[in-house]
Order: sequence, then structure tokens, then C-alpha cells
Amino acid sequence: MKKWIAALTGLAMAGMMFTGCGAAEAEDWEYIQQKGTLVIGYTIFDPMNYTDENGKLIGFDTELAEAVCEKLGVTPEFVEIDWANKVMELNSKKIDCAWNGMTILEELKENVDFSMPYSENYQTCVIRKADAEKYTTTAEMAGARIGVEAGSAGEAAVQDNADLSKGTVTSLTAQRNTLLELKAGTLDVAVIDGVMALASVGEGTDFDDLMVVPGIQLSKEEYGIGFRKNSPETVAKVNQALQELANEGKVAELAEKYPSVLVTLEAE
Amino acid sequence: MSFWQINWSLLQGFGNTCVIFFVTLVLAVPLGLVVTFGSMSRFAPLRWLTRAFVLVIRGTPLMLQIFIVFYVPGLVFGISTGSSRMIPALVAFVINYAAYFSEIYRGGIQSIPQSQYEAGQVLGMTRRQVFFRVVLLQVVKRILPPMSNEVITLVKDTSLARIIGVVELLKNAEHFAQYGLIWPLFYTGLFYLAFSGLVTLVFRWAEKKLDYYKG
Repeated sequence: MKKWIAALTGLAMAGMMFTGCGAAEAEDWEYIQQKGTLVIGYTIFDPMNYTDENGKLIGFDTELAEAVCEKLGVTPEFVEIDWANKVMELNSKKIDCAWNGMTILEELKENVDFSMPYSENYQTCVIRKADAEKYTTTAEMAGARIGVEAGSAGEAAVQDNADLSKGTVTSLTAQRNTLLELKAGTLDVAVIDGVMALASVGEGTDFDDLMVVPGIQLSKEEYGIGFRKNSPETVAKVNQALQELANEGKVAELAEKYPSVLVTLEAE
Repeated sequence: MSFWQINWSLLQGFGNTCVIFFVTLVLAVPLGLVVTFGSMSRFAPLRWLTRAFVLVIRGTPLMLQIFIVFYVPGLVFGISTGSSRMIPALVAFVINYAAYFSEIYRGGIQSIPQSQYEAGQVLGMTRRQVFFRVVLLQVVKRILPPMSNEVITLVKDTSLARIIGVVELLKNAEHFAQYGLIWPLFYTGLFYLAFSGLVTLVFRWAEKKLDYYKG
């Protein structure tokens, strides 16, 4: 009986591996075109993807994605995901791309195909205004409670920084949650995207009791769109659409509408 | 956003919470009985298999089971299961709760004295007849308190569905929290509390209804 079960499980596992290999070879673009929708994974990330007062999803990436989908003749479908699961979401075909101010990381290139970079960013430190004098340099933050988003560029920047890595680092599921924890007093410093920090904290925002520490730029980086590994045709189509939108002036128009985005994509 | 707009938005999330709750209950209650029959079967391999199933389901986190149901078909088998996030969540909930229910049922069934089966046989009833006409009703009465425990746990477990992006009550509240509006997150507690209170009342009523005969 036991041998039987062992043989059966062994067979099932072998089956899994074979089918697993076969699945990756199907041409990604044909699959997307056939179903007619591009499922886009995002998180709430002001100014890239966020909702206005009426609950409508807007933002630089939202509108850019809508424009690209229009060019490609597919319908965009936005799904709010857990950013830490983005590679799993892509590989299991639950989403077709991760488009949410995604930093192009060397480590991710093993598992994700990236579009061309379209904007740039740096990591910055956000603190409570009350702590403005306490934390002015990274050296002063060495003993602080630091929050980052799990799997984000901010997390990598903290690990690489000699001072910040000495702090008590907590990885949360979304960049926004680090701001929430700052406000609640359970964190002292949040290391997040500069683009987001500039748009989300300070006077006139939801987090007016928080501030960006001036003069700290931890790591320069570029934003791209993440696709499933081995989907060259999808990437080529999207790159072409992006360049066309830049040439038509649509990208510049969006850059004007969302001034905190540091757009690098220019007309040829 | 006004208080009522937020309430309205939370209620929409609560609708999905109710969907998870009722669908899980309606499917897991009968499925649990099937699992019970498996784990009490006189055919040993079936008994071992069912008990191993119960061990695995009760021995691993529901959160992990939701991940597996949602991601593994696409990751390992390359099957696209569509864009629904609710259905995989429901599948995981039903399987998980059926395993827990089955053990409650087994406890109830085994608490009925063997002498009742013997008495039934003396009267010329088959084992099947004795089970469905004599034993089952007594079991229902006896398992109500542990079942109410499990069902109230289910009310709150529905919030786990948000990890694969099902928009239910807690996820809706988190959405507000991401914009710095924190009170809705804690306010959801009232929804869960009211729901659990209602479930408690229903079970109390059912227990009272079944009180007329001494099991």
C-alpha cells in the first residue's frame, strides 16, 4: 500500500514538472490578444495609481496604461494586488503585467521581463514633522524603527546603507502602509519611493503631519513595466506603443498633469 | 468622504464577506459529512486517506491553502483559471471548513451509544435506517455548540480572502487606511461583532427548538 502511494505521488510530481515546462512556451502576446484584456496588477501608489474623490482609479501609470491598451486594441483591467506576490501573480497568469512604478532591478530580471524605462526615481526617508530635528541624516537613524515595503527598492536601499541597516527594519505589504505606521507612531522612518513621498506627504495631502527628510537620495533607479518571463513579443508591442505615445505628445501631457513623476521617456 | 459614503462602501465589501460566509457554510456542511463517512469507513485505505487529508488541512494555515488554490494551477500546470479571485478563495474555504466540520460530526456520531444500533437491529432496521432515522437527529442536537464555535470563527476568517485580492470588508477598510483615513479599519469590528451576534442568536434559537427531546 505504502509503495503504491509513493509511486503515485512520484508520478504526479513528474507530471507537474512536465506540464510546468510546457506552459512557459506558449506565446504570451497571442494569449493576451486572444482574451482581449490586459490584466494590470497595481497597488495604491500616488501619483502612479490612486483613486480620486469619486472612487475612480487615476494616476500617471493608470492613464498611460489606458493609452497603451487603446493602441494595442485590448481592454485594460486593473487589479489591486499584494505587491510582494507580483511574480507569482504574473507566472500563474492571474495578471499580465505589473505596472505600478516598478523599479527595474537586476535581481528581478531573472523572473520578469521589463519594458523600456519610462521614468526615474530615488529612495527617500519620510519622518513625522515632530521628529524634524531628531533625524536629519541617515547616521541619526541608525537606531530607529524603519519601515519599508517587502520586496521593494526601498528595502534593498536600507540593506545596502551602512547606517539604516543597523535600525530595526520591518517589511510591510505596501508603501502606503509605512506612512500609516509613521502616523500611528509604530515606525520612526519610512524608506519609500521619492516620487511617492513628494506626492503623498506634507501640506494639503492625507499625511500633512509627515515630511520628507531634505537632502537624502538613497539610490537612483528607473521605472519599467514588468511582464512574464519569456514574453518578448508583448514587451516589443508595449515598447512600440510607449514610443508612439511619446512622439504624439501624450506622455508629455501626462507628465504635466502629474508633476511629481520624473518622466524620462522622450519623443524621438 | 462623508460618514455615510464610507458606510456604503464598507457595506459593499460586507456583501462579499457574506457571500464567502454563506457559500462556505452551504457547501462545507454537507461535504463535511462525506469526509466523516470517509474517516469512519470500515475500508481501511479510504479511512487512512481521509484522515491524512484532515491532518493536512487542519495542520496547515488557511492562508497558505488559499495561496495554493489560487496560484498553483497557473504556476505548476499552466492552466489559466480565469480572472476570478472569489472562486479560488471559496474553494479553499469550503475544503478547510469541511475538514473541521467532519471531525465535529465524527465526535457527535461516536457519542451515540452502540446500544441504539443494536436496539434498531432487534427491531429489524438496517444500519442505514438506524443512522438516518435514529442517530442523525441526536447528533445534530449534540454538535450544535461546537458548530456554533466553528461558524463564528468562519465569520472572522472571511477576512483572509483579501490576501489574494478579494475585495471584502477588511480590504475595503484598508483602502481608506491607505489614504490616511484610519477609523474605518477599526470600525469594521462592529460589522463582525454584529454578524457574530446574529449567528449566536440563530444557534441559541436552534438549540432551544431541539430542546424538546432529551438526546
